[in-house]
Amino acid sequence: MPSWQDFQPFIVSGLALGGVYALSGVGTVVLYQATGVLYLAFGAVGAMGALIAWSLIHAGTPEWVAWLVCVAFGGAVTLAYGMVFGPPLARRGPLVKAVATLGLTLVLFGAMDLLWTANGGESRAITLPTDNGGFMVGQVQVNWTQVIALCAGIALVVVTGVFLRYTKLGTAMRAMANDREITATLGVPVRRVEAAAWLGCGLIAGLAGLLLADLVALDATTLTFLVISSLAAALIARLRSIALTFVAAIAVGLIHDLLTPIQSLSNYRDMTPFVLAAAALLVLSRHRVISLSREDA
Amino acid sequence: MRLYKRAPDARATIALAAVIGLAALAGCSSNTSSASKPTSSAAASSTGTASTGATAQTSQCGTKPGVKAAGTPIPLGGIVTNQPGTSFTDIANMANAYFTCVNDNGGINGHPIKYYIESEQTNPGQIAAEAKQLVQTDHVVGIVGNTSIIECSIDHSYWQKLGFYIVDSGIAPECWSTPNSAAVNMGPRYSSDGAVQYALSQHVSKIVFDQSNVPGTGYIAAGPAALAGAAHVAVTQLTENVPISDANSVAIKEVDDAGPNGAVVLNFTPPEALVILQAAQKLGLENRVKLWGCSTPCNTDFLAQALGPKWNHKLFVNAELTPAFTSSPSMSLYKAILAQYGKAVSGGIGSFSQFGFAEAEIVVHALETIKGAYTVASVNGAIKAVSNFDTGQLCQPWTYGSYPMHIPNNEDYTVTPDNGHMVLAQGCTQISSVDPQIAAYRKVAG
Repeated sequence: MPSWQDFQPFIVSGLALGGVYALSGVGTVVLYQATGVLYLAFGAVGAMGALIAWSLIHAGTPEWVAWLVCVAFGGAVTLAYGMVFGPPLARRGPLVKAVATLGLTLVLFGAMDLLWTANGGESRAITLPTDNGGFMVGQVQVNWTQVIALCAGIALVVVTGVFLRYTKLGTAMRAMANDREITATLGVPVRRVEAAAWLGCGLIAGLAGLLLADLVALDATTLTFLVISSLAAALIARLRSIALTFVAAIAVGLIHDLLTPIQSLSNYRDMTPFVLAAAALLVLSRHRVISLSREDA
Repeated sequence: MRLYKRAPDARATIALAAVIGLAALAGCSSNTSSASKPTSSAAASSTGTASTGATAQTSQCGTKPGVKAAGTPIPLGGIVTNQPGTSFTDIANMANAYFTCVNDNGGINGHPIKYYIESEQTNPGQIAAEAKQLVQTDHVVGIVGNTSIIECSIDHSYWQKLGFYIVDSGIAPECWSTPNSAAVNMGPRYSSDGAVQYALSQHVSKIVFDQSNVPGTGYIAAGPAALAGAAHVAVTQLTENVPISDANSVAIKEVDDAGPNGAVVLNFTPPEALVILQAAQKLGLENRVKLWGCSTPCNTDFLAQALGPKWNHKLFVNAELTPAFTSSPSMSLYKAILAQYGKAVSGGIGSFSQFGFAEAEIVVHALETIKGAYTVASVNGAIKAVSNFDTGQLCQPWTYGSYPMHIPNNEDYTVTPDNGHMVLAQGCTQISSVDPQIAAYRKVAG
């Protein structure tokens, strides 16, 4: 069994990974809470925004403009999707809505492969100014980008929690999460509330894409399918609690990396999000009464 | 009521705006993608300042400069992987560029080459069907430019049965271990051998060899393990699932295992190698080992630029091809053909287009020796007879030969990043015969 010193650097990297999962997971849960849609295109939207930012930077555009474009792209594409496909799918079940976002994922993924081909060994990278500074924890350097990613996750949880609890728009989103039809009959402008939720989620996707491109890789495949691992954190929180999603994401990241120095388990550590999600769902569901819902897809 | 009346118009407007926006972005991205390939742009501008100058250079590819070939075409075929995340179309496209140049400059004794390129998505049934299509429908008389994750494994018996001797850029083990395939590249095993060999020459005390967790890792790892074992240096073999989503833990694991006098040698595609190396840099780990090594895929200026100056002379990359910055008539011709005929080669100057150039050059050389009709028998007989041919792209002359296995490219360079470009760190060095496969080949080939 590895010693405490062997585990130390992996605590640092695990927290960084957990922060990455938290950004994706929290954004996904926020949108699910407001619209009932499991937004599987979260990663692809962020990835494409990051690639656009990379192209703009390489064309000579100031970096801060490129970053803004990345975030704005996330908001615009997600809002457009929500406004076009949200209303027709509003009465369909969660599975149909989720699969529909998979369609957007595949379209964006194909577009990225076409526009930013990996032929000839192109290796793209985005670096942020905060990559260069940091501090040492043991023998490992922690850079400010990792700290920002973790803090962004925490800030997102706090701000979203406050927003949902104390603002009119947030209250409307919570009401819609409970029952869209009744909320609409009470005079709440559901389309506008949904639009706000889509836009907010899209902006988070753009921001997450930029940070993840720096922290993980500027690669369409990696960023698009990172959402699957972060989904595990959302599932552990049963897509209900943003705070729990954040905690679950950090836990998944930590456990994943702490398995690395354990020789017999290291090769299986990529299973961590799914094993934890499956275990959590089994444990949390054991006392539930199975009921048949009248709201069918 | 008003909200419902406005909604369809709003949706249509937003949809139209989205389509227009995406189209505009596509245009911007294409322009910026072109701008992000300075090496290929520079090659184009340096060789194309005067069109007559470029034409004069490329005319050397054929025997009758300026004379378009108009005879009966000689059909050739190639199969390449083309799927999201893995595309080898540049190799076949560069071969096609070479053939087009030849066709514009006399062809093969007046006969143009017609090149059929089939792309596949790592589907065994599809690959087998495409091989049959090339032979039975397109009636090709030779196969050149194959670059596929599994094509050698799927089709080598078929080619053997029909008497095709293919010239390819290998990936699967069968590309080197069967009698009917001879590659211009070294492939992952021998390229990794080269990278490990260089690390051992720097007197490291431990090797950590890490590669993608894909089929064939055992075959690839056997070479580095043999080299390290013969040098009495401990070796740790690691594999990572790709795409890598947590490069931090990978980098920490590698560095911890290697130790301060050890070497970490990577065998990944450039994007995956890049994320590991960048993670190591961000964690402050790049100086915690004696050196970093990588197999040939890392040999791109893209990687050197993305890594930045902190990696100058810290990463040592096996280069199975002559560096493109070398001045030679062959390299000038390669760049000129790429500039004039290589619009479909998206990667520009680099290993992939060099592979395509070398393969086409070999086959054209073989075809030019044929006196009579261009049949399967005559073409493949000529290809098999290629001996000691200097492609100008490899360390050593290239030979096909009648051997049960082929590893004709078994010498390499080592390059290292230097301010955004790869520069030479070590000249041509033979891959050690400690690798049993290399020893077996040298025994049959002499």
